[in-house]
Amino acid sequence: MIVTLLVERDYGTPASTGTGLVTLEIDGATVIVPEGTSVMRAAATAGRDVPKLCATDTLSAFGSCRLCLVEIEGMKGTPASCTTPVAQGMRVTTETTRLQRLRKGVMELYISDHPLDCLTCPANGDCELQDMAGVVGLRDVRYGYAGENHLDAPTDHSNPYFDFEASKCIVCSRCVRACEDIQGTFALTIAGRGFASKVSPGVDQLFFDSECVSCGACVQVCPTATLSEKSVIELGIPTRTVLTTCAYCGVGCSFKAELRGDQVVRMVPYKDGGANEGHSCVKGRFAWGYATHRDRVTKPMVREKITDPWREVSWEEAIAYTAAGFRRIQAEHGPEAIGGITSSRCTNEEVFVLQKMVRAAFHNNNVDTCARVCHSPTGYGLKTTFGTSAGTQDFKSVEKADVIVVIGANPTEAHPVFASRMKRRLREGARLIVIDPRRIDLVKSPHVGAAHHIPLQPGTNVAVINAMGNVVVTEGLVDRAFVDERCEGFEEWAEFVSRPENSPEAVAVDAHIDPEELRAAARLYAKGPNSAIYYGLGVTEHSQGSTMVMGMANLAMATGNLGRDGVGVNPLRGQNNVQGSCDMGSFPHELSGYRHVSDPAVRKIFEDKWGVTVQPEPGLRIPNMLSAAVDGTFRGIFIQGEDLAQSDPNTHHVTEALSMMDLVVVQDLFMNETAKYAHVFLPGTSFLEKDGTFINAERRINRVRPVMAPACGKDEWEVACEIARAMGYEMSYARASDIMEEIAAVTPTFSGVSFAKLDHLGSLQWPCNVNAPEGTPIMHVDTFVRGKGRFVPTTFVPTDERANRRYPLILTTGRILTQYNVGSQTRRTDNVAWHPEDVLDIHPADAELRGISTGDWVVLESRVGATTLRAEVSERMPVGVVYTTFHHPGTGANVVTTEFSDWATNCPEYKVTAVQVSPSPMSRVSAEALTGAELTTAGATPAS
Amino acid sequence: MHGLAEDIVRMGNQIARQFAHLPEDEAVTAVANHLRNFWAPQMRAGLVDIVDEGDEVLEPILAEAAELLRGS
Repeated sequence: MIVTLLVERDYGTPASTGTGLVTLEIDGATVIVPEGTSVMRAAATAGRDVPKLCATDTLSAFGSCRLCLVEIEGMKGTPASCTTPVAQGMRVTTETTRLQRLRKGVMELYISDHPLDCLTCPANGDCELQDMAGVVGLRDVRYGYAGENHLDAPTDHSNPYFDFEASKCIVCSRCVRACEDIQGTFALTIAGRGFASKVSPGVDQLFFDSECVSCGACVQVCPTATLSEKSVIELGIPTRTVLTTCAYCGVGCSFKAELRGDQVVRMVPYKDGGANEGHSCVKGRFAWGYATHRDRVTKPMVREKITDPWREVSWEEAIAYTAAGFRRIQAEHGPEAIGGITSSRCTNEEVFVLQKMVRAAFHNNNVDTCARVCHSPTGYGLKTTFGTSAGTQDFKSVEKADVIVVIGANPTEAHPVFASRMKRRLREGARLIVIDPRRIDLVKSPHVGAAHHIPLQPGTNVAVINAMGNVVVTEGLVDRAFVDERCEGFEEWAEFVSRPENSPEAVAVDAHIDPEELRAAARLYAKGPNSAIYYGLGVTEHSQGSTMVMGMANLAMATGNLGRDGVGVNPLRGQNNVQGSCDMGSFPHELSGYRHVSDPAVRKIFEDKWGVTVQPEPGLRIPNMLSAAVDGTFRGIFIQGEDLAQSDPNTHHVTEALSMMDLVVVQDLFMNETAKYAHVFLPGTSFLEKDGTFINAERRINRVRPVMAPACGKDEWEVACEIARAMGYEMSYARASDIMEEIAAVTPTFSGVSFAKLDHLGSLQWPCNVNAPEGTPIMHVDTFVRGKGRFVPTTFVPTDERANRRYPLILTTGRILTQYNVGSQTRRTDNVAWHPEDVLDIHPADAELRGISTGDWVVLESRVGATTLRAEVSERMPVGVVYTTFHHPGTGANVVTTEFSDWATNCPEYKVTAVQVSPSPMSRVSAEALTGAELTTAGATPAS
Repeated sequence: MHGLAEDIVRMGNQIARQFAHLPEDEAVTAVANHLRNFWAPQMRAGLVDIVDEGDEVLEPILAEAAELLRGS
């Protein structure tokens, strides 16, 4: 933990990727740097910081401020060091009387048009303009302060998280360039010319009304107080830093939590973070206030019946009540009558201990994880084909991709920091293929456009991927050398996909695609030369989710797009620790490291370590636990940080099952929808209170360090240990690092991982063991984990969920940028300013047919339930498909989703639900007056 | 609302259809292996019971796979 404020070194310009070395002399010192390095960076490397204002090492050199002038022997004038590359034998001088005079003159001009309110300025002590005035020795301004100026420029307070104080702007363009080069949104511009030049969001818009996505990149690079976090304005400059990891999506951005005392002032993305390299999104950067929200429950509570009021109790009573309840159920109904669910929002250490509690103290394998409902098909599909349940690349790999295929993912909304990296590569010239029913932002956005958009019908992924395979095989685009050397089962797969029924023309009608477009896309992918697939829940959350994952793996193997930079098959994981929760043995059939419980050698490792028998048979999955509860055979559950009643499909079924259990224990930050059916509520810890690790979508193990003490007084793993002990199984750890030691001891892919090594190296990508002591950024380089990559014929078996006359539309669900999953965190931040409610996107033709306009209340109804929400008519949608998010319990989108699921893993089929949409009989006023429960029952058809 | 028996029938038939492209004996073995690897014993036993009761429409491959699971 760092106890003082961590100020990262700014070298002025980005590091060069040049391979050759150049030797030069700076102020008499010999410096050796990569070719392509700027003189400014070379000087900084030698400890000779050149004054600067428009330059920062996260942005390309711009050369506008004229403060970084230097003298170079043999060169005329005083070139800008930021835009001048080094040359062999160059002799540079950074400090002369002439340079001092020139720099002071520049600063005089800046300061003549700048408020002189340093003592009351929020950036006092954290202002580069102030620093540079000191560096150049500015003592007065010859021009005075009464000339024409911008001191009366208004301040824009519209953004919930930062202010734009235009009077302090020096028009260095850092913010504009950050929005373009780092974020890729192009929301900012320099409006006007000459003295009238000013930074402008859009065309004279307020920040909130503009296309700004509040990523915070502009705030971060601003050298003055012009763009300042409201929290800094209110609380002051932070004084200490704790390095930690964001707890939102699977990108897993590294952050500097900056504090005053124990109060978080701001979260600043960390430049050395492997996943994000200094970038952030609106959630990680700003939406952390939920951690101290007044709704946090910090005391354990119990109640006999779910109709009773909650009663606050001591931890001792809550633990004893929980343990006694579970033991009583097992005594009456057998050992298999209880189970537990781990959370992808929790650390690996918390997850590992919870699954151990189930296997060792419950004495069964009824443990599952919320990854069941998102990426379980990734585990099945990639393990079957490649040998391990994880993506193949690091995020940085996309910088070498020539063709990027995005399938069933919307990175600009759901994985925005990776999307920025991807968009940068696309602006450099990589080609893009988007396979998605919706016209997502990537299809056409500033300076990014898809070469091919395949707007397929939901539910036809496998038909489309088979058709792409058909083109690759029948048009001779197979990488035979790769296939022959590294794969098996190719001939059988090739025979299968080359059948006429798998051709683009044959699947075109059912998949709603243009076969020529698909052929062109397949050719583009196959010819790369480096082609990378990125996919999301639009792949996995189908009846054929696992088949589709294998289909993509087949395509990558057939074209040789594996085992090096710029290629691969890459799941974009939903929650911060989906990868980790799966790695830690949360699935009922696997122990940590994806090893089946039926393997006696594997069980022996755990039995020796744990001193208890591990059951050799798979346990129940979440949906089966719920169904067994309806039968009365499953009667008690421990739910760690998951809101089943909002996030899981067919809400009526979920709540009915929960209400039939004798003991439901919920561990969470807030009272959620599931807690309405709980008998015990155990307060959890936010990411700012946790000590442990998260693993992101690129298998990167990042440290999560506590910024503040647990509000509830206990770490979550400690609670699981206490329950286990109260149930008769001795389990205890002194600290979180001890848990990681145990994980490393029993999991070969983690054997080289420790907190000490993570603290030293920053992060590690597993496998991390004796063969790869510093981790593995790219997998399957020389050989696949399973030896030969396995081709699997992927027969397209359509879902049983079909549109019909009664339910003629297909509903698909997803996320929006500013909200996160069930919204329990983001709804308790100012992010609600952008997305106060879930809405239903519907194509204009479908809307017109039903007499629906944007803003109208509509009833969304499937065969299992109905809900009421507002419509938004949108040409992003294809005809016949509607879309909504599931961030708000009021609408409860999962009231309408069904029990259908992936054949191999039971991952719910969220992406295909046959529905009808009709104008709500309620008036706008009466609908607004309804509660969430009333919205989801009003107009509902009884579940069948 | 549904119980485990409905899950077993729906999921089992779905798995059987997924392997239907294989020669019949291979398909039956593949389905049985999948159920052994991923289904809890009570679900496998439940499938055998459903076969014995004969009230549900099961894919033939699934019914044959259930025979391989008897007593396991």
